Parts: sequence; C-alpha cells; structure tokens
Amino acid sequence: MTPERPAIKKLYALSNEGHKFSFSLPLKNIIRVNGRDYTVELREDEKYGVHILWKNRRYPVEIVRTKQNRYEILFNDIGHVFTVETPVSMQRKKVLRTGAGKSQALVVRAPMPGKIIDVLVREGAPVMKGEALVILEAMKMQNEIQSVVAGTVTRIGVKAGQNVMKDDILAEISVK
Amino acid sequence: MTRITRILIANRGEIAVRIMRTAHSMGIECVAVRTNVEPDAMYLSFADIIHEEEDELAEIPVFLDVEKLISIALKTKCDALHPGYGFLAENAYFAEKCRDNSIIFIGPSPDAIYKMGNKPVARQIALRHKIPMAMGTPGSVANEDEAIRQAGRIGYPVIIKAASGGGGRGMRIVRQESEMEKMFILASREAEKAFNDPSVFIEKYIENPKHIEFQILGDTYGNIIHLGERECSIQRKHQKLMEEAPSPALDETLRARMGETAVKIARAVGYYSAGTVEFLLDSDRNFYFMEMNTRIQVEHPVTEMITGIDLIEQQIRIASGEELTIRQEDVRLTGWAIECRINAEDVQAGFAPAPGRIEKISFPDEPGVRVDTGVRAGSSIVASYDSMIAKLIVTGSDRHDAIIKTKLALDKVWIKGTKTTLPFFRMLMRNPIFQAGTFTTAFIEKDLDKFHSSSEYEETIAAWLATKLFVEENLSERKAGISFDQGKELTPWLLRKRLTQF
Repeated sequence: MTPERPAIKKLYALSNEGHKFSFSLPLKNIIRVNGRDYTVELREDEKYGVHILWKNRRYPVEIVRTKQNRYEILFNDIGHVFTVETPVSMQRKKVLRTGAGKSQALVVRAPMPGKIIDVLVREGAPVMKGEALVILEAMKMQNEIQSVVAGTVTRIGVKAGQNVMKDDILAEISVK
Repeated sequence: MTRITRILIANRGEIAVRIMRTAHSMGIECVAVRTNVEPDAMYLSFADIIHEEEDELAEIPVFLDVEKLISIALKTKCDALHPGYGFLAENAYFAEKCRDNSIIFIGPSPDAIYKMGNKPVARQIALRHKIPMAMGTPGSVANEDEAIRQAGRIGYPVIIKAASGGGGRGMRIVRQESEMEKMFILASREAEKAFNDPSVFIEKYIENPKHIEFQILGDTYGNIIHLGERECSIQRKHQKLMEEAPSPALDETLRARMGETAVKIARAVGYYSAGTVEFLLDSDRNFYFMEMNTRIQVEHPVTEMITGIDLIEQQIRIASGEELTIRQEDVRLTGWAIECRINAEDVQAGFAPAPGRIEKISFPDEPGVRVDTGVRAGSSIVASYDSMIAKLIVTGSDRHDAIIKTKLALDKVWIKGTKTTLPFFRMLMRNPIFQAGTFTTAFIEKDLDKFHSSSEYEETIAAWLATKLFVEENLSERKAGISFDQGKELTPWLLRKRLTQF
C-alpha cells in the first residue's frame, strides 16, 4: 500500500436540505444518532431486492441517480439527495460558499499558515480558472494558490513577504 | 330475470380484477381486453377469455371506443358488460348502445346517467325535490357578462363548474368580480377540452367543507337504500387520496338525514344499481348536494368493509333483474375502514406522476387488511393510464384502531421500482388534525407544509449509504474494472453488481 496522497480519514455527506453527516474511514456499518450507535447493513436478496437492515427490520433502498459526488437515494420510499465531500473538497466548498452570498464573489483564503512568497496578479486583472494567484510557502514547500474560477481580481489581501494565518483572505475574485 | 353468464370487462387495472373476482364467485365468466399498451397486465390473468385488441392505429384507447366495445361484447358472446369506473362508465350513449344490442349494462339506466351527468339538469331536479344545495345558477351560464351578473347575485366566492364535468375536473374558484372574466373563459375552455362541452355553471363556493358521500343501492323495482357515508375530505386539487367509512363528522341523526336526502335524489331519477351522492358539509353541519356519480367508485371497498355487502355482487344481481334483499333497517355499520390510494407519484415533487416498472411488490397478509391491486412484480405503471398501484384497505374496531392498524400495515408495504404515495400516508396517520378527524378539503393546502416526514435516523442511514457508494467509487482498492455509468439511472441490478465486487 503506497498511497499517493494522504489517506482520507473522514467523509461528509451534505443533504440538499443543509444537514451535514460525517463518517470516519474506513467506513463501518454503524450510524450514530443522538449519541447512540446503530448497526446498519446493506443487503440484497431475491424476495426484497436491495434493502437496508436496521434494528431487525428491512427497509427498501434504491440509488435513483448518481453524478460525480452527488447521490440521490430513495430510503423507505423517501428521496434524499447528498453530496459526499472529503475534508479538502469540503474546505473548497466552504470557500466557494462564503463568496456566493454576495454578488458572486469568490474569496480565496489561505489553506494553511505560512509566508507569501509572491503575488502573481494585480487588482482588476482577469484570471483564468487554475491560474496561480499567490505563492504561499508553508512547511518548506512553495504552494501555488490557484483560482478555482474564471473572473476578475477585485481585491488582493496580501503582500509579498507577509506572514499569513490559516483562513486569512488572500484575494477576492468576482466570478465571470 | 335474465341470468348473466358472461361479462365483458370494459376496463383494466385493479377494478377489472375486482369485478372478475366477484363475477367468478358467482359462477360468471369474464372477458378481458388485451391492449398494446400493457399486454402483460395482471387483470388479463383473471380472465376466462382474452380478446386481443391489436389496432395500433386507433387513436382513442379501446376502453373509450363505444362501437369497438359493443362489437367485442357481441363477438365474444357476452350477455352483460361492466364499465368499472372512469372511461365510459358514466356515458349515457354507451349504456344506451348496450341496451340496443341486448347487452346488459351493469349500471344505471341511460336516462339516470344523462340526468345526473349533466350538472345543470341534476341541479334542476334537486331543486324540484327540495334538496339542499349551494346557491347557484339555474342552468348553464352563457357568457362572461352573465357570469358576472349571476355571481353578483350569489355573492363571492363562487365556483365555476363544467356542466358535463365530474370527478373534480374543470373547476375554478373565483373570489372577486375582477377575476371573473378571465376565470370564466379559462373554465369554459378547460371544460370543452376535457368533456367536449364548453358549458359551465356557477355555484356559491362553500369554504373549508368536508366532502361526504353516500353509497346508494337501488333495484329495478323502485327499492332504494343507502349504505352509509364515506369521508373523502383528504383530497388534493379535488382528487381524493384517502377515504374512510364512516365519517368522524357524522352522528346517527345527521347520517339519517343525509342518507334520506341521498335516497330522495336517487329516487328522483329512477336510479338503480350502485351510485354515490356527494355532499359538502360545512362547519355548521349544513349539507349541500354536490353531484351524483352513477358508477361504482374507486373508494367503494371502505363501504363494503363496514357493511359486509359486496357492491359488485349487488350490481350484477340488480342488472340481472333481481330484487334487493337488503332493507334499509338491515344495514349496520360495523367498525371503521380506511383506504389509502397507493399511487405511483412523487410526493416530494408535488405528487407528480412517477411512471415506472414495479420490481418488487408485497403487502401485509393479515386479518383486517385488504389490498385491491392490478399490478404485480414486473408490471409497469404506464403514463397513458392512471397512476394507481394499489388500494390498501384496513379495517379496525373503531377509528382509533383503524388508524393504528393502517399505520402498521403501511410500514409492511414493500414496493420497489417507482416512487409512491406511501410516505404521504405514513405522515398522515401521525398527523394530529387527521387523528382528531376535524380536517376539511382544505387540509392538504392549509394544514400541511410537508407531504412526508423523514426521521433523523432515516436521513442518517441515507447519508451513510451515499458515503458508502462514494467510498466504493472513489477510494476502493478494486476500483478498476467497475464502470459506474455516471449520471444515468441506476437499477438495483447495477447496485448488486457493484456490491458483490465491493
């Protein structure tokens, strides 16, 4: 086993109603509700088809649709929609959401504490998706902080040589 | 008296199965019609003779084709025909055509169908017999100007109804004069489209009433009785979702008064066979005649369960010229029955039809639970017909007991392959207003903000399953070789395949 990236220890399932559920990896057949653990099992047989066994009772379950990390699940005849996020994608989502509230602006925050080595864009400049915005040195590694959207830089929050804390604002981009 | 020996079932689905079950118990043969739309339908396996209807070029379905059905009945040597509900069940011309061809129409006379089917005519008859009714126009309303004049006289709010309508279709509520012109035109246009007749009439709109209907039985000798009422106030857009018998709103006195009124209306048109008189009951316990349905109804089983009378059997006996053997004083209402209409509809998407293939289906098999269905595993709910999967009818000793038993029975219904109205009924049985019995026809629109409820446990389990799938797809060591058709519909088969590889 030679994982190419650090092992993911946790996953989050976010419902489209805004509820968040977290599960530790490796995933066990256990759900925790109100501080109590319950065993759940996914099963399938000829008579009932695919179903969930929970508290000695079968419940019908169906995967209605799946697209990338989005799952539509029919459990006990009620549909639920979840997106499953890793801690990293969750963070990215949070960043995206912070900006989404007002006028489609994306706020780019420092993913970790470190030192700004260089600022590669100016205020007012157009940026492409994936274009590097700043270079942040942390743990002796230089990290390119990229824009995850195409747009225009509306604000630069840091200068070269400056130390930043985690979640400090590096830049704001108005989404195209 | 004519002995009926073979019946053409001019219908499909659960009602076809229902009719054949009783016919067989009476030693009568049944002919069913196979259509291209559902060639493997369940009702066909109950038939003694199957007529193959292979006219793919026909524009209207066979169950709406008067001439075709008559010719099938003659060809297959049927002496009688049962229309079921919907389709041609309330078509006077069809009943008349049957009579012309010496086929017994298992239902009322063409004359009674016509009189009760044409709402302004029915209103006039009711008026003549001093039946309580909401104030309304004496006949059809010619144009928007007359509509405005009439509505002013009646007083807003009013309801515009299609003269040839029924079953809750083609109705518009108008709350003020400024809306009248637009609504009148819309209603009239809708009526023309749905019933081939643009004429409409206007009635006072009763706010927040209960929908109470009485089951009538009459024979060809002038005997008419009622079998008590059904409570049908749980409706959405005038479509019934759930019915019960008796109604929590009636006591013996009111039941007797409404029952007598229902019999009086039926008598006024010389009614025979099974029929239903619909009333609105307001909060002051005043009742108003709404309409009469001249057919067997979807919700007839709740009456059967509390009276012990097989309504299809009575229809067949009456049609063959037998005299009613049940007198009004013999009718006893025992216990309480609840019917849930389990439809292939997406409760979470405003009850949108959810056609699909039923992969698994099973119902609790226990005393007090009756299931009327026309589908089995492998059946398809097709878009061209109604969305009914099954009627779950549960009987208890009283209302409280019936609700508890329905709750338990609902949890044992297992349907896979399509979304259903089950979540709605599971929620409904737990709703305090429903439990109190005080609900009105406005219940779904006014008293409910959600049509289903899901516990924290259920949501957590669903979240766990989503996570499990994600792990399997993205983090599993054996990811290679499994192709997950992204964005496509996933069948349980696909899931199974993936699980075994997991």
